[in-house]
Amino acid sequence: MSPRMSEYPQVLFKNRVPGETVLIDGYRTTGGYTALEKAFKELDPATIRDQVKRANLRGRGGAGFPTGIKWSFFPADQPGEKYLVCNCDEMEPGTYKDRELLKADPHQLIEGVIIAAFALQTPVAYIFIRYAFEDCAANLDRAVAEAAAAGYLGKNILGSGFDCEIHVHRSAGRYILGEETALLNGLEGKRPNPRSKPPFPAVRGLFGQPTTVNNVETLANVPHIINHGAEWFKGLARTLEGAGTKLFGLSGHLERTACFELPVGILLREVVEEVGGGVRGGRTFKACLPGGASTPYLTAAQLDTPLDFEPLEAVGSRFGTAGVTVFDDTTCMVAATLNLIRFFARESCGWCTPCRDGLPVVAWLLDKIEAGKATFDDIDMLKDQFRNISGRSFCALAEGAMGPVAGLLNHFEQELADHVIKGRCPLKKK
Amino acid sequence: MPTLTIDNQPVTVAEGTTIIQAAERLGLVIPHFCYHEALGAAGSCRLCAVRIEKGPLKGIQMACMIPAQDGMVVTTLDPEAVEFRAHVAEWAMTDHPHDCPVCDEGGECQLQEMTIAAGHGTRRFRGLKRTYPNQDLGPFIVQEMNRCIQCYRCVRTYRDYCGGTDYGTFGSRNRVAYGRVTAGRLASPFSGNIIDLCPTGVLTDKTFRFKCRSWDLQEAPSVCPHCSLGCNTLPGARYRELLRVKARVNRAVNGFFICDRGRFGHGYQNHPQRLREPHVDGESVSWNDALAAVHERISQTTEHHGHGTVAFLGSRRATLEANLLLGQWAAATGCTRTVYECHPEFDRIARTVAARLGDQRRSPGDIQRSDFILLIGAEPLAEAPVLALAIRQAKRNGARIVILDPRPPQLPCAFEHLPLTPEQLQLALEQLATKKFKGWTRDESTTLRNLGKDLTAAQNPVIIGAGALLGAAGIERLFDLVDASSPAARPCGVLVPLAGPNSYAAGLLSNGGPDFDDLLDAILNGMVKTLVCLETDPFEDYPQHGRAQSALAQLESLIVLDALPTQTTRHADIVLPTTVPVESDGCYINHEGRLQAFAKVLDPGLSVAVTGGGDHPPRIFEQSAPGNLPRPAWAILAEILKLPTETAALRQQLARTDNRFAALTQIHRAAEGEIVTAIGIPPRPQDDDGAVESSVPGSLQLWPIDTFGGADIFSTYSVHLDPLRDEPYILLADEDAKQRGLTDGAGAVLTSELGHLKVRVRCTATIPAGIAFLPHLLRGATAGFVPGGGALSCTLKSVEGEA
Amino acid sequence: MELLPENQQEFFRSKAAAIAHPRELVIDALRAVQSHHGWVPDEGVTLVAALLGILPIEVEEVATFYDKIFRRPVGKRVIHVCDSICCWTREGEAIFTYLQEKLGIAPGETTTDGVFTLLPTCCLGACGDAPAMMIGLTTYGPLTPQRIDEILAQVRAEVSA
Repeated sequence: MSPRMSEYPQVLFKNRVPGETVLIDGYRTTGGYTALEKAFKELDPATIRDQVKRANLRGRGGAGFPTGIKWSFFPADQPGEKYLVCNCDEMEPGTYKDRELLKADPHQLIEGVIIAAFALQTPVAYIFIRYAFEDCAANLDRAVAEAAAAGYLGKNILGSGFDCEIHVHRSAGRYILGEETALLNGLEGKRPNPRSKPPFPAVRGLFGQPTTVNNVETLANVPHIINHGAEWFKGLARTLEGAGTKLFGLSGHLERTACFELPVGILLREVVEEVGGGVRGGRTFKACLPGGASTPYLTAAQLDTPLDFEPLEAVGSRFGTAGVTVFDDTTCMVAATLNLIRFFARESCGWCTPCRDGLPVVAWLLDKIEAGKATFDDIDMLKDQFRNISGRSFCALAEGAMGPVAGLLNHFEQELADHVIKGRCPLKKK
Repeated sequence: MPTLTIDNQPVTVAEGTTIIQAAERLGLVIPHFCYHEALGAAGSCRLCAVRIEKGPLKGIQMACMIPAQDGMVVTTLDPEAVEFRAHVAEWAMTDHPHDCPVCDEGGECQLQEMTIAAGHGTRRFRGLKRTYPNQDLGPFIVQEMNRCIQCYRCVRTYRDYCGGTDYGTFGSRNRVAYGRVTAGRLASPFSGNIIDLCPTGVLTDKTFRFKCRSWDLQEAPSVCPHCSLGCNTLPGARYRELLRVKARVNRAVNGFFICDRGRFGHGYQNHPQRLREPHVDGESVSWNDALAAVHERISQTTEHHGHGTVAFLGSRRATLEANLLLGQWAAATGCTRTVYECHPEFDRIARTVAARLGDQRRSPGDIQRSDFILLIGAEPLAEAPVLALAIRQAKRNGARIVILDPRPPQLPCAFEHLPLTPEQLQLALEQLATKKFKGWTRDESTTLRNLGKDLTAAQNPVIIGAGALLGAAGIERLFDLVDASSPAARPCGVLVPLAGPNSYAAGLLSNGGPDFDDLLDAILNGMVKTLVCLETDPFEDYPQHGRAQSALAQLESLIVLDALPTQTTRHADIVLPTTVPVESDGCYINHEGRLQAFAKVLDPGLSVAVTGGGDHPPRIFEQSAPGNLPRPAWAILAEILKLPTETAALRQQLARTDNRFAALTQIHRAAEGEIVTAIGIPPRPQDDDGAVESSVPGSLQLWPIDTFGGADIFSTYSVHLDPLRDEPYILLADEDAKQRGLTDGAGAVLTSELGHLKVRVRCTATIPAGIAFLPHLLRGATAGFVPGGGALSCTLKSVEGEA
Repeated sequence: MELLPENQQEFFRSKAAAIAHPRELVIDALRAVQSHHGWVPDEGVTLVAALLGILPIEVEEVATFYDKIFRRPVGKRVIHVCDSICCWTREGEAIFTYLQEKLGIAPGETTTDGVFTLLPTCCLGACGDAPAMMIGLTTYGPLTPQRIDEILAQVRAEVSA
């Protein structure tokens, strides 16, 4: 463990014991479900929504949209069918925080879902979970059953007159389902292509009814905000504008690749050098994906960037899912980008042309460059592909795929050129 | 009504119009693949990128996805948009096989056009192309998946628009493919539309495959002759053969779509049995001799038997021009017995419609905007297929669809169905109008009462009914119901599919004259000795074949003008071969009184495929083509009447003579046709209500009906439609089948006054007991069972050993 | 081989009848058939459509979209080897090669004894334990050749037991 771990307040991971899952009794021992009791007995839905808004909780699924504002678009007081959907289709390479959370402490999510359902007045909630997370799905099944037995789910919860049921939906693969409208199509049993927006899910979502989609970690934060207040939550972050802690999944060329709960706004350098134990084998930091496969690379020059939404956008990247994948100085960034683009090309749903047919062209170019068979025309073509795919696809998938390409073109143009000049990958041993 | 500027040109459009549609109004075609006027926007191809300079969403946007807003400024020529569109075309082409030289889409390929329009010319991608296996989609459509650009138009057409259920999208990423779960014929009766809607050569017409390059086709705007809807078509011909039919746009009638009967039912034009030469008494003669013989027979009849002993029979499938000329000829011979329809019941219906339709007429285009559609005794899929498509669009727009019919309905959309017997249909029509419900179970009563209320409450209701089950009396009741449901503020619409493409004209032209029953009486009484038949087959189309045969046998002369052999041409003394619709100009008036012109696509003649015997055309050089003697019926009649035999001049003359058809002079320019507003004369009151005789115990009430496979002569002479025609079957209630020891699919023998007939049993639960249906097929085993003549009594016995 | 036991078929039939949108069960039903039958044959698609009262095309459209629904025969256990970025940084490619050599099959193939099918997969969400693979529904990582040998032996023993 990092010597400084004790300095980081543990909120979401406070009950976490590696290799174990906290059940309802354990969860209640450390204050579990007190937020729910408070919400149902002392607060009304509007107050809860207001508190989440004031806490400045931003979505933890990648896009970082303020949760309170998302909730404020939701017609909570309108009668009729409405849905809350929890997005646990965690599939962005380098991202495994939701899995760690659900492996350790699934009741946090259940409590968060029930409070959110109450705040939004949605009697039905779905937790959409990816195929590979069967361990988490089993934990959730058990947690739902325990919560129901304890009276936190079902009819007339805690005498409030509010009913809530949670369905755990197991998916069958494909990254695109993490896109919220594709996820809704998937839940409905349709082909999971993203939907055209507007209408947004808050207006026409699941089964055509108003729906809010939130990430696992986002919802898991809600009970803590209810328990400790908005000011406390904001105070957890190291940046002024930031709020809360964040689960960081560390991976790649680090000594310690694991998931840690760290304050929002922690410096990248601290994450790499302290928490991650430095670059593996004493090698040099070359670059990293700061927030999952779709976020543009940061280089050593940006190690002192605070890991929060605004500071990362200021240096041309994104906070994303806070999955930090580090590359050491032996890494060919063309090869790394090729790996990433192949992922996005394979996971395209096939709806729109730039994504379906454009990404394979980018992969073909990168492959050609990496193989040392490219000319400078190919690098120009890579640039024009980048320019024309960015911002032009139906949903954000291709946009995300251009993240690492942006990083490659911005920070590693010489490395690209070297591939052409040398006629081989300059980082590969001959 | 926002006003926006596109490429510096202002345009004002209706609320909700997208930029791409607004641009179209200005004549600017923004390149696109997935967008289609009838299918709407999908946002998937991304080709229609433009820059929005001013508006709520600035920057590069898809023109199909953004609604026009007041004050918006759009440019299609922005360099960034131009560059992006070139990239989209480049991406779309990365996997394309570039097999244009052998592709049937060549020359009319939207992918070709848009790729060029988008400015993509040089291939840069040199990687491997993904390839697909193809699926056998049956006899009508060939699939060549490698050409696919994944615009999703085919599924949106087939599933969303047409309501098909056996075609879809498979896979993901750049391996998206389209097809059926298992290979086989696409089951939708509108399957062929995916050929028209596919922007490239993935889905092409199998009946047309490798026959001709599209730019070599002779094409001309036409009107489908297979039913009374008058769908607009674009037939294509080459080497004296009609090779294919495509849909032509008419937003008021068929939109962008036609049915498979209309599309693939084109084999009649080149049928080997086409009547090619004039015949007198079985001998092939020249036109001069034939016309002299006609003149001679008619003069002889008049001389021997007096004026009025020659009668004339027009038809539902002859052009308006020919029917009008027939009337003039009849008048010139002093004939008082000119009949325009040989099926008296259908005649009465056409007259009723021509007399009563008025402003309550509804086109399929109108139907799409209706909020309440009540079908009583109508089976659109058989009687007017594209109407079923229009009803589906109404349903998709939120309309309520209610069907009163004993048959299991086949509409390609959800509906409410109350299975009533044909007698109950009459009762329902009457009582829905009077709002007094008697003779029903309590449930039925409540349903009908609510139906009446909902009909009154609807904003834009339409009632649809057809003659096969309702008969003429039923259609009159239907109009009474329409009148009763039409408060001044909001008329109720009505649509009655008629027997043929020009039935409405026949109804209008009858002018209160006699019907074919009267004419047969006159023949039997010896008052008529010669009959001239214009493209009609009274032997087959008159419901009581025996009566028609014995009457017509008494004629001294039977003179027939027709294009294809019929029982009538076989009995004729003189046969004058006529052209089929694609071989001449002409006009039809459709079910709603819409006069529409069609133009000649090709000259008649034996196709080169026939004269060459499958090989190279014979090298015999002649001035005229073999088999080119057939002439348009109107041209033959005009010559007899010494009138102009040139279309425009003739139409001028006809418009002058009968001002109901004044529109004839300009009709070839009317994009959506012209409604003929003249009001016809209703049929005389009828004593016989077409009531069904009380049945013998153990017998079934048998109703001959038409089916999608088509009972019109053009369909039955089109071999491509054979797969759509079932072997004779009888459709009846489960309990009736069970009582007779029959199960679904079993063989049986049907016995009626028309003799014995082997049929296959089809049974369902929803048919009321005691009723059975038999599909009618001209020239087939069920030819004698003519729909619209009421019911027959029949018995049904199992055939031992027949599976 | 039976596609789905009758009691499970009945479960889907009654659940489909009880809910407003039976189509939402399509993944559950496909996964049930796959879990019982090993993969989803054409008859499985038809069965799911019949159980839920939806069109076969609607089932097939969905079944062919997801990479974890197998529409072709697979071995008794499917090995999904992660080929995404985190495993790539930690010798994932070598691990994939080792697996191919060890099993004597290329990606997409099934061992001759019918036990293993080898497939590449996108990120398994086991990035902290890279390189990783999933066999059936169990995730394994970090992998080394020795660890792979142990796991394969253990799974083989389970299968033959």
